[in-house]
Amino acid sequence: MMNPTSILLIKVLFVFILGTAALIIMQKSLASLFSLYSVQSLLMAVVSLVLFKETGSYVLLSLAILTVITKVVIIPYMLNKVRKDSGIHRDSEFRYLTPVSAILVGIALIFVSYSSFYRVFQLSQDNLFFLGAVIGVSLALLGMLVIISRKKIVTKAVGYLMMENGVLLFGLFIAELPFIIELFIIVDLVIFILLAAVLSMGIDSTEEDLTRKLNNLTKWFKQ
Amino acid sequence: MIFLAYIISGLLLLGIVAAIMKWRFKGEQTAVSRSNLLNFFTLGHAGIYLILTLLALIRLPLPVLAFNNYLFMDPLAIYEVLIAETIFLLAAVYGHGYIKNLLDRRVIKVESLELFYGSFNLLMVMVVFSFFSNNLALFWILLELTTILSAVLIVTLSARENVIAALKYVFIASTAMLFSVIGLIILFATTKQTSGSGTLNWTELMVMANSLPPSLFIFAFVFCFIGFASKSGIVPFHTWLPQAYAKAPSMVTAVFSAVLINSGIYGIIRLYAVAHHNGAWHTVSIILIVFGVLSIAIAAFSMLPRTNLKKLIGFSSIEHMGLILIGTGLGAPVALFWTLYHILSHSLIKALLFLSAGILKNQFESNYLQDMPAALKLQPLATWGVILGTLAVVGMPPFPMFFSKLFILVQLGAFSLPLLIIVLIFLLIVAGALAYLLIRAFTQPPADIVKPYRADWSMKLPIIVLFVGIIGIVVYLSTGLSGILNTITASLGF
Repeated sequence: MMNPTSILLIKVLFVFILGTAALIIMQKSLASLFSLYSVQSLLMAVVSLVLFKETGSYVLLSLAILTVITKVVIIPYMLNKVRKDSGIHRDSEFRYLTPVSAILVGIALIFVSYSSFYRVFQLSQDNLFFLGAVIGVSLALLGMLVIISRKKIVTKAVGYLMMENGVLLFGLFIAELPFIIELFIIVDLVIFILLAAVLSMGIDSTEEDLTRKLNNLTKWFKQ
Repeated sequence: MIFLAYIISGLLLLGIVAAIMKWRFKGEQTAVSRSNLLNFFTLGHAGIYLILTLLALIRLPLPVLAFNNYLFMDPLAIYEVLIAETIFLLAAVYGHGYIKNLLDRRVIKVESLELFYGSFNLLMVMVVFSFFSNNLALFWILLELTTILSAVLIVTLSARENVIAALKYVFIASTAMLFSVIGLIILFATTKQTSGSGTLNWTELMVMANSLPPSLFIFAFVFCFIGFASKSGIVPFHTWLPQAYAKAPSMVTAVFSAVLINSGIYGIIRLYAVAHHNGAWHTVSIILIVFGVLSIAIAAFSMLPRTNLKKLIGFSSIEHMGLILIGTGLGAPVALFWTLYHILSHSLIKALLFLSAGILKNQFESNYLQDMPAALKLQPLATWGVILGTLAVVGMPPFPMFFSKLFILVQLGAFSLPLLIIVLIFLLIVAGALAYLLIRAFTQPPADIVKPYRADWSMKLPIIVLFVGIIGIVVYLSTGLSGILNTITASLGF
C-alpha cells in the first residue's frame, strides 16, 4: 500500500502535467513551448522518482535519470538550436481549431478516455493506477491534438514528444516494461528528433501547393 | 546461430567492399564507379540473405528460437522474408542502371549515394529482423526504424516535395505507432494478470491465447491495430501513402509497396491468430472486415480522378491491403490460405508495376499519364509491364490474383452476400478507373519526335524476371506452394 502523502503528491503532479499540456496547446512562442516541454518532462521524472521511493524498483530510478538527461536537457537544447538556426521564433498559425476550441476539445478527450477506461478496466475511481492510465492516454491524445492543430514542423514535433510522454506515463502505471524497451523507445525518439530537426531547416510553410495540383487536373480533362 | 550469420555476412561484405573501394580508387573515384560498387554490395547483401533464408527453410527444423526468445523463425516469417528478399534483390539489380541515370540527370547528388545505399541496406536488415522478431515490442521498434529509414530514402532526392512527403509519412506513421505502444502495454498487463509474468512473445501469446480476458484483448488489439494499419496504408491512416510513393525513387517505391506494406499486415495477422483462440475473435473479425471494406471503397473513389501513374498504383495498393484485411478477418483456413497467396502475388505485381513506371518516368520525365505520348513505341517493355501488371492487379484469369481474389470473395459471399455485392461494385470501379486511364494514356498520338531513352539491361532484367515469376507462382501453386501455404496456415493455429 502506498503512503498517502505520495498518493497526494502524484495527484498534484498529474494536475501540473495536464496544466503544461494545456499551455503547450495554446502557446505561440517557440522558446516557451520548449521550456514547457522540459518542465513537463521534469514532472514526469518526479512522478517516476516518487514511484521509485514507494516500490524500490531501480528501473524507475534509471528511467527518471534518463528522462532528465534526454528530455529535460538534450532535446529542448536541440530544439532551441533549430529555432535559432532557422530564425523562426513564433508559430501563430492554427489549423481547424483556435486555441480556445482546442482546449475545449482537449477537455472532451480527457472525459472520453476517462469513461472508456472506466468501463474496460472496471477499477475503482480512487485507484491511483487507473488515474495514471487515464492521464497518460489523455496526454497522448492532447499531443495528437497539437500535431493536428499546428502548422509548423517544430511544433508538431513537440506534440509528438508530448504524446510520447503520455505513453510513458501510461506505461508507468499499467505495467512495468522491461527496462531495455524503454531505453529503445528513447533512442528511437532521439533519432526521430534528429531527423525532424534536420528536415525542418529550410522549410517555411508546410502546406501543399493546391493550385498546382488543380492545374494538373484541368489539363487532363481539357484535351 | 542463423541470425548471427545474417549480421556477420552483411558486415563482412561491407568490409570487403570498403577495402576494394580504398584499394582500387585511392581517393580518385568517379561517381559511376562508386555507384557500381555500392550497388554490388547491396546486390550481394540481398543475395546472401536470400540464400540464408532458403537454407533455413530447407535445413532447419522450424520453429527456431534464439536470443532469449527475442528472435524466431517460423513458416510465416520465412515466407514473408523470402518475398522481401526477392524484391530487394531485384530492386538492387534495377538500381544498377537506375541510380546511374539519376546521377546523370542530377536528381540525386553524388554525396548522398552512400546515404542512399546505406539506408537501403539498413532498411533491408530492419525489415528482415522485424519479420523474425518473436517479441512484439522488438517488432514495434524495428517497424519504427523502417519508417525513419524510408523517410531518409525519400529525402535523398533533394526536392522540396520529397521533404514534405517524407515528413508527412514520419508524422502519420509515428503518431499512429505510439498508439500501438499503448496497445502493447495493455497486452503486457493483461498477460501479467493471467499468467503472473507478463510477456509480449508471439509464441507465448499463442499458448495463453484462450485464457486472456476478451474485453481487454480487444482493447489492446484496437490500439495495436492503429499503428500497424498506418504502416500498411489502411484507410483512414493511409493519407501519407500516395504522396510518399509518388515522390520516392521507383526502386524504393517498389520496395515500399511490395515489402514494407506487408510488415503492418504481418503484425495484424499474428495478432489475429492470437485472437482466433480467444473469445475476442468475432469482434476482431468485424473490425478487420469493416476497415477492409472502407479501404477498398476509399481507394476505388480516389483512383477515379488520378493521373499520376505512381499515385494510381499506390491507391491500388491500399485497395489490396483492404482485400487482404478482409481475407484475414474472415477467419476461415481457406480464406487465410488465399490471403497469404494474395500477399505474394501482390508483392510481385506491385514491384513489376513500379519498376516499369520508373522506366516510363525516365523516358518522359514525368509521372503524369497525359505526358506519355507514344509510350508503346518508345518503351515497349515498360509499357507492356504496366499494361500486363494492371491486368494482373485487377485479377484477370491467367494471373495469380485471379485465384486469390476469387476465393477470398467466395468466402466473403458465404459470410455476407450484400457485403460481397458492395465490394464487387468497388472492385469494378477500380478496374474501370485503371482501364480508362491506361487506355487514354497509351493511345495518345505521338507529340514531337522524342528520342527513346535507352534503359540499361539491368533495369529491364528485373521486369522480365518478375513477369516470369508472376506466371511461375501460378504453376508453382499446384506443385509445391500450396503445401507451404498449408503449413503456414496450420502453424498459425487455424
